[in-house]
Amino acid sequence: MSRLGATAVMAAAIFAVAAPFFLKPFGIFLISMWAVLTIAAIGLNLTLGYAGQVSLAQGAFVGIGAYTMALLMQAGYPFGLAFIAAGILCFAIGWILGYPALRVQHHYLAFVTLAFTTLVFLVLRNEEWLTNGIYGINGIARPAFLGWSTGRPLNFYFFSLATLAVLSAATWWMLRSPWGRAFVALRENPIRALSLGLDTRRYTLMAFAIGSSLGGLSGALYAPLVQFIDPGSFALGMSFNLLLMVIVGGSGYFFGPFVGALVAVLLPEWMRITQGYYLIVYAALVMVMMVFCPSGILGLIERILKMAFRNGKTATALHAEGLGPEIVP
Amino acid sequence: MSAVLEVSNLRKSFGGVAAVNGVSFHVREGEILGIIGPNGSGKSTLFNCVLGQLLPNAGEVRIDGKRTTGMRPCDLNCLGVSRTFQLLQVFPQLSVRDNLILAGQEHQGSMFSRLIGRADAGLGGAADRMIEFFRLSHLTNERAGALSYGQQKLLDAAMAFMAGPLLVLLDEPAGGVNPTMLTHLRERLQAYHAERKATFVVIEHQMEFVMALCTRVLVLAEGCVIAEGAPHDIRRNPIVIEAYLGH
Repeated sequence: MSRLGATAVMAAAIFAVAAPFFLKPFGIFLISMWAVLTIAAIGLNLTLGYAGQVSLAQGAFVGIGAYTMALLMQAGYPFGLAFIAAGILCFAIGWILGYPALRVQHHYLAFVTLAFTTLVFLVLRNEEWLTNGIYGINGIARPAFLGWSTGRPLNFYFFSLATLAVLSAATWWMLRSPWGRAFVALRENPIRALSLGLDTRRYTLMAFAIGSSLGGLSGALYAPLVQFIDPGSFALGMSFNLLLMVIVGGSGYFFGPFVGALVAVLLPEWMRITQGYYLIVYAALVMVMMVFCPSGILGLIERILKMAFRNGKTATALHAEGLGPEIVP
Repeated sequence: MSAVLEVSNLRKSFGGVAAVNGVSFHVREGEILGIIGPNGSGKSTLFNCVLGQLLPNAGEVRIDGKRTTGMRPCDLNCLGVSRTFQLLQVFPQLSVRDNLILAGQEHQGSMFSRLIGRADAGLGGAADRMIEFFRLSHLTNERAGALSYGQQKLLDAAMAFMAGPLLVLLDEPAGGVNPTMLTHLRERLQAYHAERKATFVVIEHQMEFVMALCTRVLVLAEGCVIAEGAPHDIRRNPIVIEAYLGH
């Protein structure tokens, strides 16, 4: 990472820690939601942005994770165990969902994953004996660790932020490893990747499984954050919203989901000053953003920085400063 | 010397068209075999059958004595078979160095050990040496997509050599490359061959390139082998002149 990038990350981290002290409980709830959904968006960015596999199923994995957490905690299992179970279950289901991706691509794959999201929604709604159907699950407790309760909004925010930090670091590590390079190869040229010895089948399944697992872990935090879950929360709208986060932030940029989640979670709330029109204004802003920066906000920032630094500098020099495309961080 | 590649009675049809019709040949260790023929003679289909991109209808492929017919390209690569494609196939968003590391990383340990191991899979030094060998040092950190066509061709060839292959199949390496870059590419291939005693199979239309590089030439027409021999013999062969060279 360039010095400029490291400074920006450090400043953002300080801001993330300091921000809740200046916010009311609803503001803290919103930034907690940002932290939780960023984890799911990181997973989708891995599947879509890096490995190039279109998925409209990430919302369903958040749902599976949330229900796993709620049901296991209701059954008396500790939070840690339920959290791990949510990740493992989504990893396994994501691996299975990856199989269609070995046969179909692009919009065909999008429809396969869209069908999966609908299927999960129907199971959550109709299998009342397990999920309580449309009535949802209420009173999901927030965890406590060695006497430190996350019941207070501020505490839960810091817990979510710490989880986000750990999972981001793990993803960063993976994308810096040969796996990250292999995922990019999968997206850019799977036939060439195969000829270079990459087992594209296994990497495709792995990209799906890890991305889904991050969705499940996000859901496992989502449930205690909102403390009430119902099937409607994990229908297609959630998957589209997560897709929006990845695209708006910058697909294939490591920090794209962080920025995209900020826009998708906070912008609609800021737009409430327009009262009844807030969703219309939000939608219009997103459309304008996509027209003028299809590579997302980070893509736009990169373009601006490149233009600013172009005087007298070659592309090599720009890359050395971390201003080239940051596909593998 | 033993045969690194043996192809026996290979057949591949698309509908009623026999693209490869009973082709047999072998390539000995350290040899550079050129495959020439008019467009549509079945050269690329033959390559794709040998390399697992297409499943032949009949026949057998053996690499280093092992039957490999129908094996997946990634498994063939792990056996030491490497290739380049007719159309450029680099990874445009990755740097030149990362393209080369990627080309060799799957030969380093297991999938899990690569996850927890070094970011460059221990291939940083080898990639730098390969970059130097192909005289691309000034472009090490450049995005592959930002390179000129000729430079990308060099990179494409360099990637095929990253894993120290037993056999390299080059599909029209000279296609679309300017004369200066072509000479450079040929020199590099010859230097690599001299240094490592590597075994190549080259499909090419550029006759001067084939004649200068190859030790033996196979001529295909309408999916069949019509001639085989030393380059200067092929050049004078009346069947080849009539079917392909034309004069």
